[in-house]
Amino acid sequence: MTLELGLTSHPDAGLQVSVLVPVWQKPESLAALYQEYARPLRQRPWAFEFVFICEPGFEAEIRELLELAERGEPIRILQVAQQLDESRLYNAAAELARGEVIVTLPGYRRIEAEQVPRLIDRVFEGRDLVLARRWPRRDAWINKVQNRVLHWLIRWTLGGTLRDVACGVRAMRREVLLKTPVYGDSFRFFALFAGQAGFESVEIDTPQHPGDRRARFYRPGLYFRRLVDLLGLFVILRFTSRPLRFFGPVGMTLISLGLAALVASILVGLAPVGGLGRIMLLTGIFLIVLGVQAIAIGLIGEMMVFLQAPQQTRYRIVERLN
Amino acid sequence: MALTPAGLTPHLSIVVPLFNERDNIEPLVAATKAALGDANDWELILVDDGSTDGTTLEVRRAAREDPRIRLLRLVRNYGQTAALQAGFEHARGAIVVSMDGDLQNDPADIPRLVGVLEQGDFDLVAGYREDRKDPFTRRLSSALGNAVARALTGVSIRDTGCTLRAYRRKLLDGFFLYSDMHRFIPAAAAGLRGARLTEIPVSHAPRRRGTSKYGFSRAPLVLNDLLVLAAIQSFRERPLVMFARGAMIAILAAMLSAIPALVIPLASAGPTSLILPALPFIWLQLAGFLVLLGLIAEVVLRRHRVMYPGTPALVRQVR
Repeated sequence: MTLELGLTSHPDAGLQVSVLVPVWQKPESLAALYQEYARPLRQRPWAFEFVFICEPGFEAEIRELLELAERGEPIRILQVAQQLDESRLYNAAAELARGEVIVTLPGYRRIEAEQVPRLIDRVFEGRDLVLARRWPRRDAWINKVQNRVLHWLIRWTLGGTLRDVACGVRAMRREVLLKTPVYGDSFRFFALFAGQAGFESVEIDTPQHPGDRRARFYRPGLYFRRLVDLLGLFVILRFTSRPLRFFGPVGMTLISLGLAALVASILVGLAPVGGLGRIMLLTGIFLIVLGVQAIAIGLIGEMMVFLQAPQQTRYRIVERLN
Repeated sequence: MALTPAGLTPHLSIVVPLFNERDNIEPLVAATKAALGDANDWELILVDDGSTDGTTLEVRRAAREDPRIRLLRLVRNYGQTAALQAGFEHARGAIVVSMDGDLQNDPADIPRLVGVLEQGDFDLVAGYREDRKDPFTRRLSSALGNAVARALTGVSIRDTGCTLRAYRRKLLDGFFLYSDMHRFIPAAAAGLRGARLTEIPVSHAPRRRGTSKYGFSRAPLVLNDLLVLAAIQSFRERPLVMFARGAMIAILAAMLSAIPALVIPLASAGPTSLILPALPFIWLQLAGFLVLLGLIAEVVLRRHRVMYPGTPALVRQVR
């Protein structure tokens, strides 16, 4: 459930840009953030609104924003009834946003505010999705190393040419956000999901905000989680409609290795001493069983895809003649 | 030239998926017109599957000159299956013909396919390439693929790779293609929907323009898709039966692997002596896993059947 707290000084008609700001985790001062990022937008001819979508527990921030809204700033404040992940926060905000162009802005400074209109310009020029890349990057060396390793892994596993998934500042046509299914905390990979849905994206260089330049260290668990995310995304993005193409080769490889181990165990011999042969035998059977399980799970996946096929749209048409 | 008046429903829809076939568009359209004549009871649906070579421009030009030619442009390259599905879903004719866009199929064969379908005995008429003009390696891989397809699906199809086919509209209405299943439409139609099908020989020309998008490297993927089709055919109503059969094999393996443990004395191999008695339990674990998976599949299937009653059956009046 979403509760609308704020108000807007802008009429619905003619509203062109909605800036969505999810308020979760630990945002910076939202009033200061709003003032900084609204300033360059005011210099453009577009009518715009800022939509802050807040998790429970940010009452102080909401009061701060309400004061601004009461002074006539184009601010809307939405509060969700429960804690949600980033994707669901954005989805809830997107349904209520009224602009033709949607800008996603994290609740902390990533790029210089003057750069945001550049992203919006590109969308008005006809781009589906424009991503900000913090460049030139004047960052702590540890951030640079982490960034390089992460993006190398992303390109290796998922493909694409993304160079700054963590930036989070994006401009897009409203349709792109509404028609791209993203869930969980995968929103940082929004461009990849949008690409799957048939939308093209472009990354443009935008100077990094001075406030973003600080060394970042995370808990080891977070790095592990990112790796698991990548594995999950690898399967989701490539094999969602054909799961056996992932599980099949995995299963067949395991079965082949298992058979090889079985043959080796027979060659080595099981008795009378036979320690090595028995270990090979155990390994072979273990691998075969694992392989069969992988294929069986792939078949279950295929069954689910088959059952859902009538409900799924598998293509998007952009032009029709006659 | 007689042009299709706007809104008139054609009797025949020809669906052609295209990916980077710019140079083939003009001769394809000309050959189709030559084969089907000036009547306005047909439409040619050219599905541009994310081409990047100017195919779209060529199709646009053809569509502007003749309203019987329709363009569907997909936002990106989804593959032949999705392109065919898009064409099928937008086809208006009572009879739908699918054909490749590389001119290796001859549109002159369309009237014969449609003629056989209109006799009323079949739901699908598939073409088979009698005298193929492809390189030897491609013919070999195709022959192997056809043999495997026949063995796995139990449906006797001579040429799964020939896209030139004619379908009854009502067959396609309840038919949903996904993954890379376009090759196996006849097998799926017969196996999953009970469609009556026949095959007739069609001519085949060597590719003159553009490049082939298929090669031997796709063989494992084709085999994978065939396995899926065969599995779906066998477990779409009772998945537990298929998984239970797998479990029975695992139990048999458990019994066989118990023999060495009974024959060889327990203490003969020192620290590894427990391995042999443990082996049957690994197989039993697999058996249990497969039964549980089968039960999950049953639950998913039942739940789905309740929520979505499914495709109406193909019914024919005998008298």
